[in-house]
Amino acid sequence: MTVESSSFEPKIVGLLCKWCSYAGADLAGTSRLKYPANITTLRVNCSGRVDPAIVLKALTLGADGVFIGGCHPGDCHYTNGNMKTLRRFKLLQKLLDQFGIERERVRLEWVSASEGEKYARAVRGMTEELRRLGPLNWKMETPALA
Amino acid sequence: MQGWLCCGAVLSNVDDNLITKAGPNRILARAQRDGNTLVTLCAGCYNVLKRTDLHARQLSSTQQAINLFNEETFNGGVDVVHFLEVLRDRIGFDKIEKAVKVPLKRAPVGAYYGCLLLRPFGEMKFDDPNRPSILENLLTRLGCEPIDYPARTDCCGSYLSVGSPEDIQPLSQSIISSARASGAKLLAVSCPLCKYNLEAGQAAQNSNRPLPIVYFTQLLGLALGIESKELELDAQQTQAILENQTTINSVNRK
Amino acid sequence: MGVFVCHCGLNIAGMVNVEELVANAGKQTDVVFAVDHKYLCSEPGQTLIKDSIRQQHLDAVVVAACSPAMHETTFKNLTQLAGLNRYNCEVSNIREQNSWVHDSKDQATAKAQRLISQAIEKVKLNEPLQPITVPVTRQVLVIGGGIAGIRAALDVANAGIQVYLVEKSGSIGGRMAQLSETFPTLDCSTCILGPLMAEVYRHPKIKLLRLARVEEVKGYIGNYKVKVRQEPQYVHEAKCNACGECAKVCPAEVPNEFDLGLTWRKAIYTPFAQAVPPAYVLDARNCLGLLPQACGECQEACDKFGTSCIDLDAWPRVHELDVGAIIVTTGYDLYDATKLTEYGFGLFPDVMTSLEFERMLSASGPTNGEIKRPSDGRTPREIVFIQCAGQREPETALPYCSKICCMYTARHAMMFHHKIPDGQAYVFYMDIRAGGKGYEEFVKRCQEEKGLLYLRGRVSKVYEENGKLIVKGVDTLSGKLVQVIADLVILAVGMIPSVETHQLASTIKASLDPNGFFSEAHPKLRPLESPTAGIFLAGAGQAPKDIPETVAQASGAASKTLGLLANPTLEREPTVAQAVGEQCSGCGICIPLCPYGALSLNAQTKTVEVSEALCEGCGTCIASCPSSALTLRNLTDDQLIAMIEATVQ
Repeated sequence: MTVESSSFEPKIVGLLCKWCSYAGADLAGTSRLKYPANITTLRVNCSGRVDPAIVLKALTLGADGVFIGGCHPGDCHYTNGNMKTLRRFKLLQKLLDQFGIERERVRLEWVSASEGEKYARAVRGMTEELRRLGPLNWKMETPALA
Repeated sequence: MQGWLCCGAVLSNVDDNLITKAGPNRILARAQRDGNTLVTLCAGCYNVLKRTDLHARQLSSTQQAINLFNEETFNGGVDVVHFLEVLRDRIGFDKIEKAVKVPLKRAPVGAYYGCLLLRPFGEMKFDDPNRPSILENLLTRLGCEPIDYPARTDCCGSYLSVGSPEDIQPLSQSIISSARASGAKLLAVSCPLCKYNLEAGQAAQNSNRPLPIVYFTQLLGLALGIESKELELDAQQTQAILENQTTINSVNRK
Repeated sequence: MGVFVCHCGLNIAGMVNVEELVANAGKQTDVVFAVDHKYLCSEPGQTLIKDSIRQQHLDAVVVAACSPAMHETTFKNLTQLAGLNRYNCEVSNIREQNSWVHDSKDQATAKAQRLISQAIEKVKLNEPLQPITVPVTRQVLVIGGGIAGIRAALDVANAGIQVYLVEKSGSIGGRMAQLSETFPTLDCSTCILGPLMAEVYRHPKIKLLRLARVEEVKGYIGNYKVKVRQEPQYVHEAKCNACGECAKVCPAEVPNEFDLGLTWRKAIYTPFAQAVPPAYVLDARNCLGLLPQACGECQEACDKFGTSCIDLDAWPRVHELDVGAIIVTTGYDLYDATKLTEYGFGLFPDVMTSLEFERMLSASGPTNGEIKRPSDGRTPREIVFIQCAGQREPETALPYCSKICCMYTARHAMMFHHKIPDGQAYVFYMDIRAGGKGYEEFVKRCQEEKGLLYLRGRVSKVYEENGKLIVKGVDTLSGKLVQVIADLVILAVGMIPSVETHQLASTIKASLDPNGFFSEAHPKLRPLESPTAGIFLAGAGQAPKDIPETVAQASGAASKTLGLLANPTLEREPTVAQAVGEQCSGCGICIPLCPYGALSLNAQTKTVEVSEALCEGCGTCIASCPSSALTLRNLTDDQLIAMIEATVQ
């Protein structure tokens, strides 16, 4: 439930790995599940491609939240790229704390190619949370990271 | 141990009624106050307490519920050992052998383990579940000649013998006949319920020369020079131990 | 560039204002042409794209339609056909992740707008990459000379490709050579295997390296450099005529592995009567001594009576092979039955494993095919078979099912009755798994014809009493405890991967599954390929299976190998990592992160280099580099940032 009646709609950037989570998101589509249109996704080969610097960059460019989707541990098409993502994610969370950015703004989900429902639910959940948290307003004119 | 209670026997291992676990958890919590090692003599207590401690370490919601109910919180961490392990690991069988004053004249003793000492192997890790040897090793050092017989790891029927004796007594009776067939003249046990069952089974058969059942600690005491009367061994039992017997079908273990 | 927006009937057009998208696209810089179509993937739709590229002189194409998972390849191929590079085409997913999942036309259209802008940004920065071509060595290595290796080697060699077949023991044939008969046909195993073994030996395109092991594998798919270490050939393979004079005089006797220790062999021996190669083998470890020479009787005998083919000063030899693909057919061993203390294997001589019993049934085995009790040599009358011994037991032994035991136990029980008609066989089982062709009928036949007693229940204990084995079990169908006084007990123990699998897996860099078998790229759709490109699997080394499946897999693996080698060069996706040398500080953080070992540090320049052939393009190294010295072709950081910017408009 939104606390404020503002018409704030968060902008969420999704980074989904091609083999599992992107396919899972596609499945949500073929199953005609519904979720808010706040999320726009990019397809990467592996969640391991996601550099935390890119995540922060996304937040400085105007995103209110970033959703990272990867394969379940053990299922990574590239053996263990998702485990590296996990390690980086944990460090990123600590960094967000130091910046004073709410942890809810960056979310890591393991979504397999058969978990369309899980994806839809996760997106709905994140959108709701960000509506509650409000805009990030971290847009920077000059790039924060070289 | 101060403030000991009944361990609940095998009933405490049951998972669908948490109240049975209150007792063993209390025991362990109190033991933990005094130190982190708890020694048991009885196979049943050993089984229950060791497994309770293992489960308590899991920090499950079940454990939380038990802790809420008991006044004492317990989350595992007690090293539950059986007296045989103390004899073997902390004192050492060598020392015991040296201290033997009355070698037990190659008494043909059958070691009876039953099941609770050994199973489930994953949690008990006491000895090989099918071919254990710790008790035979001790008995050898005391001067006995341990007899190997197939039923030494079979179940005696536990407390079920109290409710349905006719159904359960055949279990203990087959253990006795197996031991007898292999040449044992008495059995050494480590659990009072096993003792009760093995004796009751023979009583029901009106056996005129029942196989004596003694605790392994009684044999230990006898070998160390304690009077049989002090050990509460009756004449028949003492005779079975100390009378020179020819052995048949014995297996000498290391 | 041109933007093409697909209606996909009403799938997209029903929730997205397509005309608006076209209009807005046309307004973007760099977009000179924008159009919509009902079904872009159809023939007319594709023609539209192709013609537009030519007529409008487009240099890039963005297709806004269904998920790239559906038609990306189609559109990329089309773009290439029209004269552009395939990476000049990007597909934007405005269906599965847009029109199908949102219920507001405004929101869906706005999002589609963002998605199209995203694709435009990406395609702007795409490099026109060409696939990476690597040469292919048209030679194949097959590791393991059992039936799987034999079948695979023959299939590949028959296509004219040179095959190196490496076998660790002195003869090919593997487990199948140890069998007496095979179910369900009761063919004599050696009779059907023998001709295949001979064919391998005679084949001009198969080089058989016996007593050899793979020592080192370098390189990548299409270009492997393999080192195979072959034990010293004390007996010259070609010259030996298997006369056996050497074995007659050899003083050293050891248990015969082929008969699982039930018989003895000399230190110089032939693995079995139908061994291929037929040349004898000198077991250096059990010979009385070679350095210095302690005996030499065999050499003397061979010089005097034989072909003078023994050289006791022989050295091991390392073969260096260039191959394009590797087929792994290393087979299985049996679970150590001594661990099953309840059955007493190793303690009671009359408790045997199924493979030992198999040897006993065999006419060339320890008892010439007669069934005898190992303890006293008498003929058993009561025999108990225990199925699932040490298997389907996750807590204490193997968790899985070995698939073949129900079948061979039925066969064993039937053979027992054949040979001992007045005997009685008892089979303790949990289930009967007889799924193959003719299997169920075979088991039923065994049960009905021969009066075998099948008891559904497990055995809790086996012990010896008065020279007999007491088997205590249960028959769950009647609910009764059962005790059998048996003469012989046979344990159907489980298959485990061949003991050297672990070592081999790390040598060839193929992964193993939790049970130690070689893992497949996908259990359903790619069961014959290792995740490591260029390595194929067949037979029990991948998972327990029977002979028909093994042979099928072997031919399948051969077929895949031939497919790989069919072209003189291999094409690999060029969207791989690229090192930007000047920026690399040589920290080496990226190197251990690569699951494929594609990164290495150049010893001279102290900067990182990427092997394009090994790189699979996951991008983990790029994300880890603190100096931005690595980039992923056509998914660079610049591209990601540009795409994200377009996303948060």
